[in-house]
Amino acid sequence: MADTNIAVLMKGITKVYPNGIAANQSVDFSVNRGEIHALMGENGAGKSTLMKMLFGLEQPTEGEIIINGEPVSLTSPTVAISKGIGMVHQHFMLVPSLTVAENIVLGMEPTKGAFIDYAEAVRITKEFSEKYNLHVEPDAKVMDIPVGMKQKVEILKALVRGAKILILDEPTAVLTSQETAELFKELIHFKEQGHTIIFISHKLKEIKQITDRMTIMRGGKSMGVFNTADVSEQDISRLMVGRDVVLKVEKEKAEPTDTVLKVEDVHYENEYGKKMLNGVSFTVRKGEILGIAGVEGNGQRELVSMLFDMVPPDSGTITVEGQTVTGKGQSFIRELGVSHIPEDRMTYGAAGTASIEENLISDRFEKPAFNKGLLFDMDAIHKTSDQLIQDYLILCRSGKQQVKMLSGGNIQKVVVAREFSCDPKLIIADQPTRGIDVGATEFIRKKLVELSRNGAAVLLVSADLNEVMELSDSLMVFCGGEIVAYFEDTSTLSDEEMGEYMLGLKRQSPEEIRRVFHA
Amino acid sequence: MRKNLKFEIIRGAASILLALAVAMIFIFIISDVPFEALYNLIIGPFTKLRYLWLILERMIPIVFTGLGVCVMFQANQFNLAGEGTLFFGGLVAAAVAIYLPMPPVLHIIVCIVIASVVAAAAMLIPALLKTKLGASEMVSSLMLNYILLQLGVYILNWHMADRTQGATMSHLFQDTARIPTLVPRTNLSWGIIIALAMTALVALFMYRTKWGYAIRMVGQNQSFAKYSGIKVAGTIVLCQVIGGLLSGMGGAVEVLGYYDRFKWRQLPGYGWDGVTIAILAKNNPVFIPFAAFFMSYLKQGCNLMQTYTDVPAEMLSIIQAVIFLFFAAEQFLSKYRQKLVVKGAKEELAEKKAEGGQKGAEA
Repeated sequence: MADTNIAVLMKGITKVYPNGIAANQSVDFSVNRGEIHALMGENGAGKSTLMKMLFGLEQPTEGEIIINGEPVSLTSPTVAISKGIGMVHQHFMLVPSLTVAENIVLGMEPTKGAFIDYAEAVRITKEFSEKYNLHVEPDAKVMDIPVGMKQKVEILKALVRGAKILILDEPTAVLTSQETAELFKELIHFKEQGHTIIFISHKLKEIKQITDRMTIMRGGKSMGVFNTADVSEQDISRLMVGRDVVLKVEKEKAEPTDTVLKVEDVHYENEYGKKMLNGVSFTVRKGEILGIAGVEGNGQRELVSMLFDMVPPDSGTITVEGQTVTGKGQSFIRELGVSHIPEDRMTYGAAGTASIEENLISDRFEKPAFNKGLLFDMDAIHKTSDQLIQDYLILCRSGKQQVKMLSGGNIQKVVVAREFSCDPKLIIADQPTRGIDVGATEFIRKKLVELSRNGAAVLLVSADLNEVMELSDSLMVFCGGEIVAYFEDTSTLSDEEMGEYMLGLKRQSPEEIRRVFHA
Repeated sequence: MRKNLKFEIIRGAASILLALAVAMIFIFIISDVPFEALYNLIIGPFTKLRYLWLILERMIPIVFTGLGVCVMFQANQFNLAGEGTLFFGGLVAAAVAIYLPMPPVLHIIVCIVIASVVAAAAMLIPALLKTKLGASEMVSSLMLNYILLQLGVYILNWHMADRTQGATMSHLFQDTARIPTLVPRTNLSWGIIIALAMTALVALFMYRTKWGYAIRMVGQNQSFAKYSGIKVAGTIVLCQVIGGLLSGMGGAVEVLGYYDRFKWRQLPGYGWDGVTIAILAKNNPVFIPFAAFFMSYLKQGCNLMQTYTDVPAEMLSIIQAVIFLFFAAEQFLSKYRQKLVVKGAKEELAEKKAEGGQKGAEA
């Protein structure tokens, strides 16, 4: 029973959320001491839920957790930390306005009398930084450091708190390939020092590269534990989704025609005085998909919110079919035929507490087709909503169901169904498939290509390098609020080359970049 | 969703029972005749038909303010000026009833319409302050209550008072303006019918029109509403204007149906009750008459308890406070809810398995 080689043992874990979703159903999960163990599965497979219970953020409905042979009740992260468990979240939990050292000692600050001993905080940071070979700048403010370093800060935070078991939730999602390689070196270094690492991911290549064993989850259940060396990428993919997924999207060559979106010399400084956009100019034409690649936080978000008039630029012009959009409001922009898949679907894309039907009509409820005199034409609304649910394969009991009860992929399908069905001339797709399962991803990508081939102009922003490279006809790279590269043809690009542009190691000449502006 | 409704009803009932249990403790502490007091509180209101008419009569103004609060709260606008606008609407209706001679029925309609419009216009103040300057509607609407009260008292004192009366009150309303009684020999007027009709209209407005839809979307996720192209500022103004319209109408109906002169020199409190019953009704207009009936019943019970025993009517405040504590507490009975949910999820899984099995057998 008390096998001392097992660091983590979770037995018969079942978790039912208050909204009735059974995220885990009698899952068994065990990790040996000193191994790198992958936890794999599609989004919604229950990986995050399982790990949240291991880190004390959620409590299991049934089942027991044994750490180093000792049964434990992890009622909060504080308890989990005291048992030597540390977690690095996908979205960093750092205070941007504090320094690296302050973030690392947050909640356990060394004191001198009544004051925080900042010098000691810096010393601790340096000590751990050297011991684990994780280079950070203790005095830099977190908002000024690159994403890769933020992640190191997160890992150091866990290590300083005595973590022996590290949970990394999709650590490479925000990293470039160079940063990923560096991270992997560090992880192997931890392993050599006797740490146990649980690595959540759905990127097959990485898993094969770095892990010893893996647990694959599907639909809230464990599909078994495997030695990484014994299973092929195809096997893993089959176990994860139950079928072989082809993520290649077939598309004909683009034949772009008239310019729809024209962005000219746009500048923008954020509230901290940081220059987020610096003289950005480009055009998107009918019938083409223009991709924007780049590490997150290099001006993409600001650009997208300007295109939809959520923030005004400091200078520069943005026009859609010749009409200025700045200051005109969202209903005007939608009238021009612009649709938008926002990055954050629960903030902008949908109202969680409203029904699917109500979410599907939010851009068109004032149209005569849905109103009869003063009242709504409920028949027309039901018909449209049922049709969209059917066409976009939204899995639900009925259109009356609350959107927040659906899985991430299905919520995204609700957003996409609305945005794609309004006969758009320009589609701004910001991370259209982030955090959703393979099936829904494939579906959304195909639809996007179909619409562009039928004459829509598409601007695609994605942090998923594979996605932008696979879907875009032409591609530009953002770095530091500027366009640093433009590729008319994406088929010959390599990941490494892209990584160099994304990190700002390389940039094209101004003439080459100017080609993206088709006046 | 039906499961959810069932849970909400159980939760509501549990809150009410707990509140009555707390009330019972206090009654046993302070009263020499606790059982008699309890009898009067709980059973009392149903012992005579006359009490039932009283309950219905007292429900009228709070149905209106409750509906107004529903509309505003559904858009997440915590406007509390229902109180002041009801008062001022009553005053305006009284002025029209006294000084503008008109044929019967039409006179009533004109009184109500003018009162509603004036009250709606008053609500523009907090609404526009919010959308143009970003001032919290909660603060400005609270202050608006006292401005409307003092303005109203000034108008009553200096321009409408009947000096032949011993106390400050207006002249007599013209008979053409008084809302007739519905049940003979009671004060229950046709106002109750108007209140129920307005409930149906407001429900229709909220769930079957584009304006109601916009109000609900702004309340459920304002960023989403803006992104969808809904005019957020306009919607925020609209919901508060409608809130004012409804409470102004409530003031008019109450004054013309219950009094023969305008006598209010203080805020009558119906606006606050409106907030209370809107919370009880979870901001759904359909439930407002039920919540109003319940409030009115509790008041009647407390009055009877005060009249026939030694427990003061202020006991009502304690009962109300406990009910709202539990209604507002999201976590109350959440363990029970979790159990219901777990059971539901398991049943569904079993069903799916059975279906899958059947399909397997067929294949």
